[in-house]
Amino acid sequence: MRPENYQAVQLGDSNEYEIFIGPNHPGIEGNYALKLLLDGDTVVKGTTDAGYLHRGFEKLMEGRLWIQNLAIVPRICVPDPAPMEVAYSLAVEEIMGIEAPIRAQWIRVLQLELSRIAAHLFTFGGHAATTGMYTPMYWGVADRDLVLDLFEDFTGGRVYSIYNIPGGVRRELPEGFLEKLSNLLDYLESRQDDYDNLLFTNQIFVQRAKGVGILSKEDALEYSVTGPNLRACGLDFDVRRDDPYLIYDQLEFDVPTQEHGDAWSRILVRRDELFQSIRILRQVITKLPSISGPIRTPIPNPLSWNVPAGEAYVRVESSKGELAYFVVSDGGDKPYRVHVRGPSMMHAVQTLEYLVTGARIEDVAQIMFSLDACPPEVDR
Amino acid sequence: MNKQLIDYILNAVNDIKVTHKRERRIRVDVEADSLTTLLESLKGQASFLHLSAITCVDWIEENQFELIYHVWSYEEKCLVSVHTRINRDRAKFVSVYDLYKPADFFERDIYEMFGVFFIGSPRMEKFILTEWFGMPPMRKDFDSEAYVQETFNWTEYNPDWLQELTDQGGGIAIKPEDIRMAGQLHNMSTHRERESAKKDQVVGKGWKS
Repeated sequence: MRPENYQAVQLGDSNEYEIFIGPNHPGIEGNYALKLLLDGDTVVKGTTDAGYLHRGFEKLMEGRLWIQNLAIVPRICVPDPAPMEVAYSLAVEEIMGIEAPIRAQWIRVLQLELSRIAAHLFTFGGHAATTGMYTPMYWGVADRDLVLDLFEDFTGGRVYSIYNIPGGVRRELPEGFLEKLSNLLDYLESRQDDYDNLLFTNQIFVQRAKGVGILSKEDALEYSVTGPNLRACGLDFDVRRDDPYLIYDQLEFDVPTQEHGDAWSRILVRRDELFQSIRILRQVITKLPSISGPIRTPIPNPLSWNVPAGEAYVRVESSKGELAYFVVSDGGDKPYRVHVRGPSMMHAVQTLEYLVTGARIEDVAQIMFSLDACPPEVDR
Repeated sequence: MNKQLIDYILNAVNDIKVTHKRERRIRVDVEADSLTTLLESLKGQASFLHLSAITCVDWIEENQFELIYHVWSYEEKCLVSVHTRINRDRAKFVSVYDLYKPADFFERDIYEMFGVFFIGSPRMEKFILTEWFGMPPMRKDFDSEAYVQETFNWTEYNPDWLQELTDQGGGIAIKPEDIRMAGQLHNMSTHRERESAKKDQVVGKGWKS
């Protein structure tokens, strides 16, 4: 809602008052507002207010060619755009009945895991900043920038790579890229102690984050929470392992979990996941040179490309949780319908409203960030 | 995946069409009346606890809305997509909020974008498009391009610095109308042909739920 259309509510003889948090505030990566009804500094009720980033992507996609939509999909989530491209490409491939060559699948995994690392580094920093610690934010963003350098190197784009295409990936990795990647992984691993000392075992942060925004396992299942937020409640589920896509079933990795379901557990799960991503990337570095072959399955001329009628529901694990694309084709040159199911749809609306109820106002921003919600996924 | 159990649950429903699309993906087509019963037995008997999404597709030529419920079972490791169709003129359906809490979000989204009213859903109100009072924009008969042409005035952008460049022989090298893709796209549209047949309809205005 535009601020000029917002009317403050007079609540009569009561100690309760209503305030508007957002749309710009430290609690979230983007524009997203929360209307809070407060009693003293305790939240009585929170109502989310979305729509600030609505660009009508689903409608736009219905008016564009299959190939043109690849430029739109990554913009649905800024911090973690790679899973969007891959999910869309996988869905179109499933309708077409084709499969990307095995080398392209390994390169896609490389891109997905790098993107996950970048997204988690961004989240650590942001989460710490909501508790008043700004140094981890500078460190996180600076280290994320090194990952973005690699993205620039092999896809040409720092944030939106637009590197995937139905049938494979657009170009081969540049010369010497795997050494660069290996050096970056060494560097990130060497930062582990620094991050632990600065953030993850820092008592100032731990005492602020422990016991805040507790989500029980039952509630997490009730609200369809997925991804790191679900694993922080102790439920061991990962789309990569339990509903594998690409070549994830050939990789070795653990699914880290925590028990308590609070903000502290959620950030710990993300920390462990970052090192699991490094482990996966090391396997890619070892395996990729021995896999030769094409990186693209040929597709028809994209300007006059009719995808046969059909539909596909494709799920991938993004850094935030289960991301799904439902794509319907009526046999035309454009998608008939594309539905994006972002993980934040569940985390940022009902789960957030549930968690802020009864919380203190100084914890609201932290609860929001600990869920790692991405408002453009809600608004699309 | 316990195939026997899932088949047992699915086959208990009348007029059901089951398609095993690939590993861990089942497509089910049911009549609108039996949808809630089916979801209830899937949730209760085979622990399909996770509502992944509810999608709406507007099949304007058949005058129908297709509603698709994607449910996932953590135990059976299987995703069932339940498809059902409702009449487009009476765009009302029963809510599954009592079974799946996330339906609150998805049903509100569909109500806003397609105008399908869900009876029993707790928040049938505006969420994203709080300042939009026209036709639900994701319906196929809403033409965004026509709405833009009708609502906004195009102005010529020709500032002094660009005029100076043009006088010196520079300026815009490729005019928008000369872009190769633009012309092709115009000729290739499929939906647009149908839409142009309905030009007499007023776009985006005067729609009432």
